[in-house]
Amino acid sequence: MKYLALVLRSLFRSKRRTVLTVLFLAVSVFLVAILQSVLATLEGFANNPNASSRVAVRHKVSITNLLPLRYGDWIRQQPEVEAAMGLQWFGGVYQDPRNFFANFAAEPEAIVTIFKEEIVTYSEAEFRDFLRDRNGCIVGQSLAAKYGWKVGDVVPLKGTIFPMDPRLTVRGIWRSRRQVDEQALYFHHKLLEESVPWMEGRVGAFWVRIKHPDDVPAFIERADRHFSDAVEPTQSETENAFQLNFLKMMGDIATIIHAITMAVLAALLIVTANTMAMAIRERTTEVAVFRAMGFTSWQVLGILLAEGILLALLGGAGGIGLAWLGAGLIKTGLGSAIPWLVDFAIPKETLLLCLHATMGLGFLSTLLPAWRAVRRPIVDGLRAL
Amino acid sequence: MDCEPIIRCQSVAKSYWRGSLEIPVLQGLDLEIPSGGYVALMGPSGSGKTTLLNLIAGIDRPTGGRLEVCGTHLNDLDDDDLAAWRATHVGFIFQNYNLVPVLTAYENVELPLLLANLSRRERRERVLEALERVDLLDRLENRPGQLSGGQEQRVAIARAIVTDPDLLVADEPTGALDAKNAEEVMALLENLNGEWGKTILLVTHDPKAAHHARVQIHLEKGVLDRTVEVNR
Ligand SMILES: Nc1ncnc2c1ncn2[C@@H]1O[C@H](COP(=O)(O)OP(=O)(O)OP(=O)(O)O)[C@@H](O)[C@H]1O
Ligand SMILES: [Mg+2]
Repeated sequence: MKYLALVLRSLFRSKRRTVLTVLFLAVSVFLVAILQSVLATLEGFANNPNASSRVAVRHKVSITNLLPLRYGDWIRQQPEVEAAMGLQWFGGVYQDPRNFFANFAAEPEAIVTIFKEEIVTYSEAEFRDFLRDRNGCIVGQSLAAKYGWKVGDVVPLKGTIFPMDPRLTVRGIWRSRRQVDEQALYFHHKLLEESVPWMEGRVGAFWVRIKHPDDVPAFIERADRHFSDAVEPTQSETENAFQLNFLKMMGDIATIIHAITMAVLAALLIVTANTMAMAIRERTTEVAVFRAMGFTSWQVLGILLAEGILLALLGGAGGIGLAWLGAGLIKTGLGSAIPWLVDFAIPKETLLLCLHATMGLGFLSTLLPAWRAVRRPIVDGLRAL
Repeated sequence: MDCEPIIRCQSVAKSYWRGSLEIPVLQGLDLEIPSGGYVALMGPSGSGKTTLLNLIAGIDRPTGGRLEVCGTHLNDLDDDDLAAWRATHVGFIFQNYNLVPVLTAYENVELPLLLANLSRRERRERVLEALERVDLLDRLENRPGQLSGGQEQRVAIARAIVTDPDLLVADEPTGALDAKNAEEVMALLENLNGEWGKTILLVTHDPKAAHHARVQIHLEKGVLDRTVEVNR
């Protein structure tokens, strides 16, 4: 503690250099924190812990290949299965392509059983109306609020994958525990079948609720074996795996984000190392004077390292602060446009990562020049001017 | 603390190597300095004055011979022990003061005390005492850049004596000062020697400065040339 004043003063010996380095660190840490948080948010979205007893059955070749709708009959007969439904990503656009939200054609009979973690609060009467109305749909509360939809309103969708532009009547609105789970619209798969001839009897995937999570592996194994010799073989996965696949298809974001993170950290290391090397080199004599006065190499090394780590931490704290502010802006600003981001926040793991990364950075970048400085004979250091 | 003589050099040698070429700087030097002595080390440039001073102060190691300073055989200490020994036994005064520019006069003087196990209050007492001896109590909060050269050197002297060491080494302490400030610094050193019993080893080119010492030792090409008692 008694060295704190010394370390702080030394750190701001060259104010401009220190401030510039801290700013650079802060901006970089901000970038890393935001990117990592986006990744964590996406993974959290895909990694719904409630969904461990949910299985997605899709075409073995890819998630864009279709399966016969009658596979559902066999699936529903299996002893482990509580309920199953066909589900087709519709990809319809509401008014403007920028109004992106998830919309599906579903076999609606079992939807509240299969999505019971998401469709938490709803009116049974409303949902009965939905089942009766071939042109009806149900939407999440947060999505409905965003566009001002009420029960009875007509929502026109423009098909992007399918040549059909359904006009759907909102029949029910549900609430979830998380806003992110209220960002979807479901309508009748039958409507899709009637309007698009080649969708007749076909569907993108089946969502299956297994009675007991322990039975999931057995079901997956048996279903895929059963359909293995069919023209349309299946691949069954737990929902988490399915979602992750979906994300992977979207361009292996994780790899890109990690690569960017590594590149930013490497750039940071170089800049911080340069700053510390300069800061230490211009103090060659001072280091020698400290040691002449009786400071050991280790003590001087410790003081220099403390300075480097403090420098990095200042930048890191600044960056985390910026990221925290930024996260709030993203949540309120972008969350309404991009449904995945409505729950956007900086996870604790990301904070710790940034903290550790900056401390490690300060340590590494200071170690080499500091070590060289304290290994230098005292008399050389005193002579150097 | 009584250790007589305080400095004992026995055939001390120091060489530098330039590649495989040995450059002898000190060649088998024998020297004894009594406790409480005030010795001016003189001689032409390159004769090895700084080298000898550094060996005695324990910031350099001889290539031959033995050094006993303040009752400690320096040859036997490892680097960390030698550092601890310097912290308690030696005060350094440099030609260009070598104060830490970002610290105040007070904090500069406090630095060596950080190594001792003292409370903040005890440190404060000692720092103020040291600064009083160099008559700079009115400059506590000034940085080196806000002080004159003479004041800077007096802060440096306060820093050198704040741990109450037995031995003060000063390598051309007046080399960067004008005559008036040099005279002040020399008076201060004389006082530290006369009234406070510090042993002082002074390297200087300046005969006027050397006149303050009690003994002048002349080096010539790494060997003792002659020793002169100063009559004051
Ligand atoms: N690190 C070193 N490497 C090589 N030679 C050195 C080194 N240090 C000192 N020397 C040489 O040792 C000799 C004595 O140097 P020293 O600094 O002791 O002389 P000095 O008497 O203090 O001279 P000055 O009055 O100029 O300060 C010089 O010839 C110098 O070049
Ligand atoms: Mg010299």
